[in-house]
Amino acid sequence: MLQIALLGIAFAVLVVISIASVYWLQRAREDAAWVAHTLEVENQISLSLLQIRRAESAERGYLLTQEQGFLDDYEAAAGGIPPLLRTLQEQTRDNPEQQRAVIEIMALAEARLAQFRRVLELGRDNKLDAATEMIRVNAGRDTMNRIRTLSLEMSAEEQRLFRARTTTADRSQALAAIVTTSGSGLVLLLAAISIFLVRRSAAARDEAETRLRDSNLNLESTVLERTADLREANDEIQRFAYIVSHDLRSPLVNIMGFTSELEELRGDIFRRIATLERAASPNPMPENADNDAEPKLSGADKQLSQDFTEALGFIKSSIAKMDRLISAILNLTREGRREFKPVLIDTRELIEGIVSTVAHQAAEAEAEIHIEPLPQIVSDRLAIEQIFSNLIDNALKYLKNGVPGEIRVRGRQKLGFAIFEVADNGRGIDPKDHQRIFDLFRRAGTQDRPGQGIGLAHVRALVRRLGGTMTVSSELGTGSTFTITLPAKWSAANRDSQA
Amino acid sequence: MSKPVTIIMIEDDEGHARLIERNIRRSGVNNEIIPFTNGTAALDYLFGPDGSGIEHKGQALLILLDLNLPDTSGIDILRRVKENDHLKCTPVVVLTTTDDAHEIKRCYELGCNVYITKPVNYESFANAIRQLGLFFSVIQVPETIA
Repeated sequence: MLQIALLGIAFAVLVVISIASVYWLQRAREDAAWVAHTLEVENQISLSLLQIRRAESAERGYLLTQEQGFLDDYEAAAGGIPPLLRTLQEQTRDNPEQQRAVIEIMALAEARLAQFRRVLELGRDNKLDAATEMIRVNAGRDTMNRIRTLSLEMSAEEQRLFRARTTTADRSQALAAIVTTSGSGLVLLLAAISIFLVRRSAAARDEAETRLRDSNLNLESTVLERTADLREANDEIQRFAYIVSHDLRSPLVNIMGFTSELEELRGDIFRRIATLERAASPNPMPENADNDAEPKLSGADKQLSQDFTEALGFIKSSIAKMDRLISAILNLTREGRREFKPVLIDTRELIEGIVSTVAHQAAEAEAEIHIEPLPQIVSDRLAIEQIFSNLIDNALKYLKNGVPGEIRVRGRQKLGFAIFEVADNGRGIDPKDHQRIFDLFRRAGTQDRPGQGIGLAHVRALVRRLGGTMTVSSELGTGSTFTITLPAKWSAANRDSQA
Repeated sequence: MSKPVTIIMIEDDEGHARLIERNIRRSGVNNEIIPFTNGTAALDYLFGPDGSGIEHKGQALLILLDLNLPDTSGIDILRRVKENDHLKCTPVVVLTTTDDAHEIKRCYELGCNVYITKPVNYESFANAIRQLGLFFSVIQVPETIA
């Protein structure tokens, strides 16, 4: 900002200097012209005076010699005077004082010339005495003196003017020189300041650049740090899940174990009750009754036994369910800890393999599985196998009752990513459940099929670990399409970059 | 068992210990079972006050070991037993909840003789322990080396 202002000022100064220089040079030239003019005027005055003198001396010469040559000289001189004076009048028009003097000189010269003419006429008529007399009466000398005085005054005036004008001209030139020099100096100064400022701002820019580079490096290391933190947190969660599910299992063994022991005890107790009842009853049962068989009970005892059995049944089924969930978490965390190994996978062959393993289920469900051309990818074989077998399994599991199933596996390649679709014409998923189905232990729709709500959570975790994304588009009753986008070439490195 | 083998059971969960003992007894094994609920006590017993394990000279021992102990890891106990000159021939049966492949491999590498995962399902659990008991009744256990 300051720099622009400075440059503007420098430019303005340059313009001012130029104008001032031009102005002062013009002034100097004008002053010089005036000086020349003064000299000219002086010259004119001398010339006029000289001419008058010449006329006078020619007149005298003629009177003395009567020679025609002097008369001619006189005519030439006398003829030259009025134009000279007129020029002088013209030249001194700017100066009223000089003008007055010129007019007076003109009148005097006129008078003087008239005298000359009269003397010459007398001379021509050979009245020499009269002519000499006329010269002697001095009338002519007075006029002449007056003219000389006036001329001298005019010359003096012109001298004065000359001096004054020379001074002015000198001053103008000096001023022009000063303006030019000081202006140049100022411009140089401004240029120097500009250069200084430019260098300073360049230094500031360099510094800013360095700082930017530093902060970029900082940012990178921050990102790396955060990534490492995240990975550590992720590992922590994995370890946590592993330990928790492990430690949960241990008490479960006890609960299950002692529940079973209780069950044994229950058998013993109710057998005892039955035996006692039999002993108390009037007609005892035959002794050879099977001891292991369910003892015959009656009334309240039977009800008690049934309640006992029911309670134990609930406990055992809950424990079994909890065990399945814990196993699922363990499997997921174990999956999360498994190292992936990228290999080139012929996706079509892999999916054909999966389809052949579910052929029996497909035949049962009257479903057909079509595999369209699929792109090859470099990824972890086991993970890809698990992803597709889960999806195909789900498609077979949730077909519409009474409608022949049709499952299509499609694929295409786009910008370094392979996009796969597993589409079915099954029962579909309500859009409000689209997020939920990916959550662990969550399921959607009619719960008429066995399952823990783990498959899709597992699939999505795998897809994410492989640096991909997964979406579902589905409507109730029209089937579902699961779309998986995976990097065409997965390597451990780009897993890190997406971790 | 042909000789009076002492079974050393290192199991932090007393419920588990009880269930294991009960099922071993059910398989007809009547040998002495010395239970320990933590690693330190078990190590103190096994290696004695001087840490050499010489106390058990001439005894036939069998160790039932859980890996998840509160104070020491079962793996450490396994390593120390197998590194000890007197105890290294003592059979070690690892009986734990972990069925992680790495863990199993590590135990066998360290010289464990049998690795059994505790099934949550009690029938399987009881069955496994009973079979282990039957196994105990037929195997030969060496006396600890002097």
